[in-house]
Amino acid sequence: MIRFEQVGKRYPNGHVGLHELSFRVRRGEFLFVTGHSGAGKSTLLRLLLAMERPTTGKLLLAGQDLGQISNAQIPFLRRQIGVVFQNHQLLFDRTVFNNVALPLQILGLSKPEIAKRVDSALERVALSDKTDLYPGDLSTGQQQRVGIARAIVHRPALLLADEPTGNLDPRLAAEIMGVFEDINRLGTSVLIASHDLALIARMRHRMLTLQRGRLIGDGEAAQ
Amino acid sequence: MSATRGSKVSERVAPKAADPQPARKKHDDDDGPGFSMLFRAWVEAHRASLLDSLKRLGKQPIGSFFTCLVMAVALSLPMGLSLLLNNVERLGGSWQRAAQISLYLQLDADSSQGEQLSNQIKGMAGVADAEFISREKALEEFQQQSGLGEALKELPDNPLPGVVLVTPNEVDKATLEALRERLSELPKVQQAQLDLVWVERLAAILKLGDRFVFGLTVLLVSALLLVIGNTIRLHIENRRIEIEVIKLVGGTDSYVRRPFLYMGALYGFGAGVLSWGVLAFGLNWLNDAVVGLAGLYGSNFALAGVPVADGLSLLLGAVLLGYIGAWIAVARHLRELSPK
Repeated sequence: MIRFEQVGKRYPNGHVGLHELSFRVRRGEFLFVTGHSGAGKSTLLRLLLAMERPTTGKLLLAGQDLGQISNAQIPFLRRQIGVVFQNHQLLFDRTVFNNVALPLQILGLSKPEIAKRVDSALERVALSDKTDLYPGDLSTGQQQRVGIARAIVHRPALLLADEPTGNLDPRLAAEIMGVFEDINRLGTSVLIASHDLALIARMRHRMLTLQRGRLIGDGEAAQ
Repeated sequence: MSATRGSKVSERVAPKAADPQPARKKHDDDDGPGFSMLFRAWVEAHRASLLDSLKRLGKQPIGSFFTCLVMAVALSLPMGLSLLLNNVERLGGSWQRAAQISLYLQLDADSSQGEQLSNQIKGMAGVADAEFISREKALEEFQQQSGLGEALKELPDNPLPGVVLVTPNEVDKATLEALRERLSELPKVQQAQLDLVWVERLAAILKLGDRFVFGLTVLLVSALLLVIGNTIRLHIENRRIEIEVIKLVGGTDSYVRRPFLYMGALYGFGAGVLSWGVLAFGLNWLNDAVVGLAGLYGSNFALAGVPVADGLSLLLGAVLLGYIGAWIAVARHLRELSPK
């Protein structure tokens, strides 16, 4: 699904985000990327979303070389990915339904199909009764779940999450992680960047550890 | 893990989570969409963009109205001047129809020959009318108009020739010149005179007016593009987060651009309607004064309103300008709107 081959990222100001990173992620795999601030977690996610391009090495996502992908192809690549942000990135002037429907509207699906899929995604995150509310009417945890529903509504092959539990209390964080596991069981690869080691340890999935842009650990999180 | 499994959310989604089918199998219903489905989706996307743009303009009615008004003023100035020039040309045309070619006959041509020539000329192509003025009548008129009546009586012979006044039905300079050439070759014609100086002066003034209108149009169209560009830029700024999210979830540049293009076209449409109204009202308001002035000169001239074809052209032009202005603005700012 994902193949990093000696991938490096150097910024124009000389800062090195990633050093010759190499690893593979299988289809349907669940893994965490962890490390302190500045370790390169966000850079890794940005490379996968084609928000940035690697400066060295080869990065393949579902067979596409993200170093060579044209700008016109990027939107179509992103349609295969669901993304969840720490700050949710919801649109506060749209209802929960319309926030979640956005990727489907972009895909140009019919209204009944959109309604069916949005209902299904909201049911999956236990927000079926909130469709007509606005994000401002919801708690932080509920907002995060709306973000997750939006990320999975178009049935992506890969789900990326950047510190998705960063603003949540432990109970809510565990709930959200449960949702990710449920999604993963349906076959979606899930890659979560997080520095919440306690939470990661409880979940016993593969964990990549980054430090100053280098991969220093790759294995199952120990409890 | 146990904590997660025990959570309320996980319990609620458990049936789905227990689904043994891998996700790819679940996507089997995603057969390639047919043309009709793609077309419906395309129409739906455009309809949604149009409605969204209308709603956003409707949410700021005063701001939207004033933007349209500024654009309408910019459109009305050159269009109004152009319509006024068209009216002046129409007025000039009616004067030109009174333009005449004077045929001075040889002194030995008598009245019957003059009448015969006049009748012959009436039947010629390009001639609306011809009137013969005999030598005697010409002298009589000259005596009355010049105030030299007594002095002229002392002359041994009438020095004035007979004249045929020819009214052409074409006022084009080249046509008039060709007609004058033909008339000058007729028997008994000594000289054919055509005074085109005033026609040329009027044409020169109108040409200058046309150039002025063109220059003004270029300037004001540029200003209009700047107005619409700046307005759309503000809309883009207000929707920066939305645009970033749309791009992150797979929205193409054309998807991002579409509502702004509709917005530009709607601003243009509003401005076109307002401008048409302003011009119709303005010309009607001026017309009373023009009719009064023309009446003093014995003319029944009146300003024409805004012809429907011109009004529709104005509307179409305004919509296009709004669209183009929005396109330029979005193209300039789209690159800055990459997700952060």
